[in-house]
Amino acid sequence: MAVHFTCDGMKRRDFLQIGALGAGAFSLSSFLRLASAGQVDAAAKAKAAIFINLPGGPSHMDTFDLKPNSSDEYRGEFSPIQTKIPGIEICEHLPLLASQMDKFVILRGVSHTLAAHRLGSEYVNSGNRPLPSLEFPGYGAVVTKELGGPSDLPPFVSIPNSNQRPGYLGVQYAPLHTNATPSIGKPFSVRGISLSNGMTVQDVEKRQGLLNKLDTAFAGFESSSQLLEGLDRFSQQAYSMITSPRARDAFDTSKESPAFAEKFGDSGFGQSCMLATRLVESGVRFVTVSTGGWDTHSNNWTNLKSKLLPPLDQGLAALFSGLQEKGLLESTAVFVTGEFGRTPKINTTRGGRDHYPRCMFMLMAGGGIQGGRVIGESNENATEPLNEAISPDDAAASFYHALGIDHTKEYHTNTGRPVMIVRDGNVIDSLFT
Amino acid sequence: MNKVSCPLYGFATVMLMFTSAVVSAADLVPAASERFAAADNAEVPDFQKHLSPLLGKLGCNGRACHGSFQGRGGFRLSLFGYDFKMDHEQLLDRIDTKAPADSYALQKPTLVEPHEGGKRMEVGSWEYNLFLNWIKGGAPSVAGDPVKLEALEVTPSEIQFTAAGQERQLQVVAVWADGTREDVTCLTRFQSNDDAICDVTSGGLITSGDKGDSHVVVFYDNAVVPVPIIRPVTDEIGEKYPKLAARTPVDEHVQTKLAKLGIIPSDVCTDAEFLRRLQLDLTGTLPTAADVEAFLADASSDKRARKIDELLQTPAYAAWWTTRLCDWTGCSDQQLQNVNPVNRNAGSADWYAWMLKRVSENMPYDQIAEGIVTASSRNPGESYREYCERLSNYYRDKDRSYADQPGLVYFWGRRNFVSNEDRAIGFAYTFMGTRIQCAQCHKHPFDIWTQQDFEQFEQFFARVKFSRGDPKESKKILEELGITGKANGNDQRRAIEKAIADGKTIPFPEVTITSDNNRRRKSKDNPEAGMAKLLGEQSVDLANIDDPRTALMDWLRNSPTKLFAKSFVNRVWSNYFSRGIVEPTDDLSLANPPANAGLLDYLTDGFIAHGYDMKWLHREIVRSDTYQRTWRPNATNAADERNFSRAVVRRLPAEVTYDALTVATLNDEQAAKFLESVSGRAISETSPPRNNANNGRNYALAIFGRSIRESNCDCDRSMEASLLQTLYTRNDRDVELLLTAKNGWLTQLSRELKPQSESAERELAAAEARIERFEKALKTAQKADNQKLTAKAQEQLKSARADAAAARRELNTKAAKFDPQQVVTQAYLRTLSRLPTDEERNVAGGYLAAESDSLTGVKDLVWALINTKEFMLNH
Repeated sequence: MAVHFTCDGMKRRDFLQIGALGAGAFSLSSFLRLASAGQVDAAAKAKAAIFINLPGGPSHMDTFDLKPNSSDEYRGEFSPIQTKIPGIEICEHLPLLASQMDKFVILRGVSHTLAAHRLGSEYVNSGNRPLPSLEFPGYGAVVTKELGGPSDLPPFVSIPNSNQRPGYLGVQYAPLHTNATPSIGKPFSVRGISLSNGMTVQDVEKRQGLLNKLDTAFAGFESSSQLLEGLDRFSQQAYSMITSPRARDAFDTSKESPAFAEKFGDSGFGQSCMLATRLVESGVRFVTVSTGGWDTHSNNWTNLKSKLLPPLDQGLAALFSGLQEKGLLESTAVFVTGEFGRTPKINTTRGGRDHYPRCMFMLMAGGGIQGGRVIGESNENATEPLNEAISPDDAAASFYHALGIDHTKEYHTNTGRPVMIVRDGNVIDSLFT
Repeated sequence: MNKVSCPLYGFATVMLMFTSAVVSAADLVPAASERFAAADNAEVPDFQKHLSPLLGKLGCNGRACHGSFQGRGGFRLSLFGYDFKMDHEQLLDRIDTKAPADSYALQKPTLVEPHEGGKRMEVGSWEYNLFLNWIKGGAPSVAGDPVKLEALEVTPSEIQFTAAGQERQLQVVAVWADGTREDVTCLTRFQSNDDAICDVTSGGLITSGDKGDSHVVVFYDNAVVPVPIIRPVTDEIGEKYPKLAARTPVDEHVQTKLAKLGIIPSDVCTDAEFLRRLQLDLTGTLPTAADVEAFLADASSDKRARKIDELLQTPAYAAWWTTRLCDWTGCSDQQLQNVNPVNRNAGSADWYAWMLKRVSENMPYDQIAEGIVTASSRNPGESYREYCERLSNYYRDKDRSYADQPGLVYFWGRRNFVSNEDRAIGFAYTFMGTRIQCAQCHKHPFDIWTQQDFEQFEQFFARVKFSRGDPKESKKILEELGITGKANGNDQRRAIEKAIADGKTIPFPEVTITSDNNRRRKSKDNPEAGMAKLLGEQSVDLANIDDPRTALMDWLRNSPTKLFAKSFVNRVWSNYFSRGIVEPTDDLSLANPPANAGLLDYLTDGFIAHGYDMKWLHREIVRSDTYQRTWRPNATNAADERNFSRAVVRRLPAEVTYDALTVATLNDEQAAKFLESVSGRAISETSPPRNNANNGRNYALAIFGRSIRESNCDCDRSMEASLLQTLYTRNDRDVELLLTAKNGWLTQLSRELKPQSESAERELAAAEARIERFEKALKTAQKADNQKLTAKAQEQLKSARADAAAARRELNTKAAKFDPQQVVTQAYLRTLSRLPTDEERNVAGGYLAAESDSLTGVKDLVWALINTKEFMLNH
């Protein structure tokens, strides 16, 4: 048995005892065990999470942090509108979200310093400022490691793909990418789970029967090898996912009632949100939805009002109301963010705004987060936080907190380095009170 | 050039010292625990030799306590000690030399004052008396540089237990530079590397546990000494161990260790097992059905050795080991944003080509490394413009390639290889298999290095710059191309890409060595300026060296630690045995000793003696019986996974998995070319994709854990199993497509069963039409003297002629009769690389017979076979 030491002299075996597992020799069995056991802070309200990523970096000043009194250099073309909550205003092109304002919180004056897409994206997808020597796991990897998932569903699904990687936790915590977005009223096929090419459950059962009879080379030796044992467990799990109705139903968006599905709109993003609610309802632990195009260096306002904001407005508003309708909002933590905001000062030569991490917005909802509020504030031209800045790390700590995960828990990387889940964040208590 | 500054380095040296050490009671200073047992001793303890180790022993400078970077209760000690200056300063605030016993530093750990860390010592204990005497003596610090610990002698040097619960006490003696010898057992930290095998108390008392072997590691001052602990698995040891023939030196070393443990190695595996294992490990390629049949039919006695030699000559061997070298050197487009303006993937393509050429030519490993470590952009005497001309030629002249460039400069242009610190860490990872990152912030807990050692090592990298190229000249070249500075980054990038595509000369980035600024700053007051220190070894005056990297390369070749050769040998070994002789393979530290030091030394020395000949190393390993043993355990070795007494089943690497799925399902004609024509294969992929793209086979390669080549860790490649992998082989549409592919085996069978004469006629006519068209195009191109178009037309013509030939063959084929037994045999040979057993024949044959459509039955059979553990694993 391999024993690896950590930088601080702790042995890998010790981690088993304290519950923080290294991603080395033990991870397969730990995964299996955690998947069946599950360690949850009983007080936490959220049992599942949806993370919505807006890659490219949406303009805060034209969405959730408008400054109507700024000068022309800054203000932009859009006007604010009142939301359901008196005193909170958002962009006029987000009317449906305005009517759902009671369900979510706007974080303003979120701030960091990484103005490149990839670095910013790694930051907001992990809650840790990227390091060249270490790849941090995305939220979904950590959450599924900590909370596991049901045996006949994938625990971590990304629609259609995600910037959240398993990092130092290892490939077993990687998301299942759907690689496509669903369309309204149509069956949705997911690689590895949906049956294609006219295959039926009976065909699969028949094949599996043959496999069981032929897969005998190591018979009798399974208990002596963690790998052999693990492959057998995964085999059973894969079989139940493919053949049991639960997983197929979860992904089959055509089974959703049309009245419910139509609220999300017919955009790819809207229907992805619909699928996300459906997956969470079925028991999937963590879902990411990703919709790009926010890198509006030019034609910022035309793109926002014609292409970007309407589907966001409809999809996200339906997600909040849909989760509420299904009684899932309390038990589902929702987190919406891009990798940065955009320059408050308009780039007049191109009619757009450029990368700007010093001031941005994020949205959070569900899982005990009290909606209908704005937390944090930017200054008069939204160039920086007015008071204390909220960091992506703080938002991450809060997101984990909603799920009952202690963000200060330590993992050990394969090089033995002790690393906290979120290295530098504090839970934003006001979100929960 | 080298002199070992610390003789503790290198296990062999230490072992020798143990056996020859004669500990004479006369000149041995007794243990501090005896000397300070009574309070009346007037001796003032030494800060380095006594007080600092005592703080470590009491746990004061641990990470959870005052060793934390934030300190505790306002009191901070250096993590794991060895920053004597800081530790002394911190303590000074907490002691009272006028009333020593009232010192806060004594009252806290004795709980006179409340202490969050609890009681660490009793008033009046030897620890207390030692601490008190130090304060009474004026709390002296370390004067000047730390005293050098010449040796740390540990007795016994090796322990063999025979039953659980037995005990042995270790004695530790420090030998200082002035010849003083002191028993420091009570000031030493002890640690068991596997507490199932043995437990060790803080006083150095070892208790045996389970059968097997491990080490107890001994830490004092900056020394780290591992002591092997063995409890034999059976009583067949020593005289009783059976006389086994050791066919090769590798076998001899492995069996020497096994004899101590009473483990009998498993039998040598069958020919079929051997061929499959060897070909997967050595060439990343599953054997075809024809390969297996031919090998099984060969009756000669030297066929295994010949197969090894034959495979070492294949392009697949070169491709697979190029991939591994690209893992360890970090070839990734994501990290190569700015190294090559030709196009976005040119960086990794060049890197791979550079490596492939050298592996194919079997260039000695040290020369490959030298090409990277001391890589220069410009040839001697070359101007920047000439350099750009030459590099541009690599992309506009098809007979030239970046692989011709002597040095792999891109290594120095990686985005995760910019700061001196990152370079020091990345360099040690790639070329020494060593993790020095701990010492970036504190004394390395498992090796001799201090934070100061790290900082002095970093200096080797300070003068190496990777820049966008000569500023004036590159601007001029751009201007000549009509590209001005006004264009934004992306537009400029596209314009440059277009210019080189049009055959123009473009500016290239380059590595330069800046001149030594320290030369001027050096003075009597500052003699250290311009000095750098090789890790754990001597200092080098960089002021006298044009390129400091040459000193690094000399050191790799000459360091007595041999970490350069050792780390490569160990990584290659782990490719064949699923674990290194040192495991993890990138953690060659004193506290993580090899499972078999003799074996590692033999291979390391042989590798060096054979001029770093990589093929020698491969042969030496795979020719051994040790490599050729079956995975089936016997009564003695079922639990052994670290002493190489049998093969250990393991997952196939990502690329090898993908290629194995492909070749297992491919038609016979194309499968036959798999070892030779590697272009397009997963083992020829140059880099993980940018931005986590998961299109095409990237999805499969990612979930099977291809190396992300990002974080200076061999764990960037994952050999773990996962649910997504199983879902992929069970039910992914990509796998379903492989089964039914046009160039697949099933399609081949279906054609053989019912030749598609009509479609073959159509295909023949179409191919002939294409031949006519391309012949015309070729003539036109030749007339115009356009080499590029000529080459293209020739390619197209070749492929059209091949299609026509295939169609003709098909027209001439007669319908074959479906022979289930033959099909079952072929299915087994092409997936599991062996003949089916009678039982398997019955099951598979029965399945095919019961299926109304025989091809659907075959498809199910192939599906089932590629989903067996036997297929997915190497064994």
